[in-house]
Amino acid sequence: MKPVIDPKFCKACNICVYICPKKCYSKGSGIGETGYFTAVVSAAEKCYNHNREGKLLCELCILSCPDQAISWHEETEEEKKK
Amino acid sequence: MKVAPGEFFLQGNEACVQGALASGVRFFAGYPITPSTEIAEGLAAKLDGKEGVFLQMEDEIACISAVIGASWGGVKSMTATSGPGFSLMQEAIGYAAMSETPIVIVDVMRGGPSTGQPTRASQGDVMQTRYGSHGDYQVIAFAPASVQEMFDLTVAAFNYSEKYRVPAFLLSDAEVGHMRGLLTIPDKLDIIGRKEKGIRRSDEAYDVPDELVRPFPVFGKGHRTMVTGMTHTDNSWIEPEDVKVHQELVKRLSEKVLRNRKDINKWELMCPGSKTMIVSYGSAALGAKEVAASDDKVGLLRLKSLWPFPEEPIAEVARNCDRILVSEMNLGMMYSEIKRVALENGCKKVELLSKIGGDPPTPSEFRHKLREMGVI
Amino acid sequence: MEIFDFYRKDRWPHVFCPGCGNGAVMNCFYRAFNELGLELDKTAFVGGIGCSSRIPLYINSDALHTTHGRAIAFATGLKLAKPELKVVVFTGDGDLGAIGGNHFINGCRRNVDMTVICINNNIYGMTGGQASITTPHEFLSTTTPRGNKEYPFDLAEIAVAAGANYVARWTTRHVHELTKSIKAALQKKGFTFVEVVAQCPTNFGRRNRMADPTQMLEWMRESSIRRDKAKANAVDHVDLNLEGKITVGEFVDRNRECYEELIGVSKHG
Repeated sequence: MKPVIDPKFCKACNICVYICPKKCYSKGSGIGETGYFTAVVSAAEKCYNHNREGKLLCELCILSCPDQAISWHEETEEEKKK
Repeated sequence: MKVAPGEFFLQGNEACVQGALASGVRFFAGYPITPSTEIAEGLAAKLDGKEGVFLQMEDEIACISAVIGASWGGVKSMTATSGPGFSLMQEAIGYAAMSETPIVIVDVMRGGPSTGQPTRASQGDVMQTRYGSHGDYQVIAFAPASVQEMFDLTVAAFNYSEKYRVPAFLLSDAEVGHMRGLLTIPDKLDIIGRKEKGIRRSDEAYDVPDELVRPFPVFGKGHRTMVTGMTHTDNSWIEPEDVKVHQELVKRLSEKVLRNRKDINKWELMCPGSKTMIVSYGSAALGAKEVAASDDKVGLLRLKSLWPFPEEPIAEVARNCDRILVSEMNLGMMYSEIKRVALENGCKKVELLSKIGGDPPTPSEFRHKLREMGVI
Repeated sequence: MEIFDFYRKDRWPHVFCPGCGNGAVMNCFYRAFNELGLELDKTAFVGGIGCSSRIPLYINSDALHTTHGRAIAFATGLKLAKPELKVVVFTGDGDLGAIGGNHFINGCRRNVDMTVICINNNIYGMTGGQASITTPHEFLSTTTPRGNKEYPFDLAEIAVAAGANYVARWTTRHVHELTKSIKAALQKKGFTFVEVVAQCPTNFGRRNRMADPTQMLEWMRESSIRRDKAKANAVDHVDLNLEGKITVGEFVDRNRECYEELIGVSKHG
């Protein structure tokens, strides 16, 4: 599974960038739809849940995101190869 | 809980308890305060958990808050208090008006301001009832003058509060609350229950009926209601910045009471053709009743409901008389309202017999005042 | 149930500032509620006034958004009138501990079955950053421009002393532990209390050299100490002093009989 940030909800607090133990996120450089520098998932392949089935691990980012902007999605075949 | 019909010799506050039980009260929260405590004691004995809940809260603010909460649980709920406690409740009364919660508040009035005269009667809370909380809102208030009316008007307060989804008041005082007298409980009473909203159909939008009083969405039935004291739309989403939403809401809250004035207002008229009329209410009218009964030059309009202001009966009386004497146990609170309506309707003179300190004006005090006015 | 079955997606993004701790508590609460399989139609949420007290309005359930400080009193009435409802109160430090302090201690004492979640951000956030009863000593706010000379309340300690059945405190830096405690609180009968020390970067952090929410989370991580489990029901004194520490953990877990059982409330709605 991979985390995905919903740019409509993200308010660029960058808590995900701080809290992720695997440094999957990074600060955004472009202004998103909401007018914030929305954070981006820059290294989803480092996530504990990369290519993982069953119960999700860690989830610090999802639980800490104040704006419910992060959700889990299935990886594409290409991403799975990373 | 059913109340046995029959004749009883009871105290005013006890009659109020009987009225509440007859109306189907299921929740009472109170805090001890003279002279209303007998109501809490009476209901504590009856509401044992199975028939309903009695709760002694930590203060009056908590009492009325719990009562509003209980009303959203779908039960008829009430509290009883007196002057200082009533002052504490004001914020939540505004909340009940804004959130359209049916609740009944009994205020057994005592002398104020502040701690004042805990054991003596007064009518000093009539304006606080109407204007006590901030913002524009309307309430329903009744003023009993006998043990029987403590019962009848408690039932009326419950009925109208349910009918119009407003906080309703019983403005008794230490005199009426503590007087003993005959109470006749009839075999059959008209009791109005809660007009509940139907169960919400799936996820479709909340149906907004085009009427002033909306059906009540009881909690826990799948309505997923948002109840708030903030300016809100009809599906209760908060819109504190929206001018139009605020105007519509606040106007409707007032209109639903004012437009139904004729339905709500109650009064008693004695010797209606007299050229001099006494206008009074509650225990201040007790002495006037005797005067009007014995003297054919003097009539009496006794108001049984104070809010919404009974303009119609006062206007009717004012059109047919020369002079009005207002009697009340404060320094002239309803006087200014009555005077406004009376002068607008052709009455030439409106005088005031005000008496504070705890004793209602006696018949001889009425006669003395009438003599001063040159009536008798 | 997905998170946006629980919350009202049509109201998103919510009103809270970027980096606000309320959102993390909302995540944890949804998790706990969902994992327990509780039903929205059989739950009512009550809030007072303040940022955290807005949370009930975002939940897709019956919500009572009440007057300032009185949420517990409203919830008491609601619960006793409809005992089959599960009642959850969301409140903040000012709402619960300052204006509603009396209702809080008497709520714990009366032990009516409800779960109270207090999001303690150490400040009055909605009104723009005035010192609250939990603002740490010497911290700055708009009403304490020379530093707060008062000492803060310890809400969890009050709840323990007043008799709540379950008391826990975590910070928004302890999301997993917090979820577990909310679960425990929701399952338990009686008055259960979970305090969450949360970041308010906009109005608290900004004036105290922690303008970035991540700085605040780091502050919480550094200053929080886990309560020694071996101490059982003993109470730790924990003020949020400058030098002080935030003791986190479960403080009490007991089974005093709750009020409605004692008076034998039955359904009468």
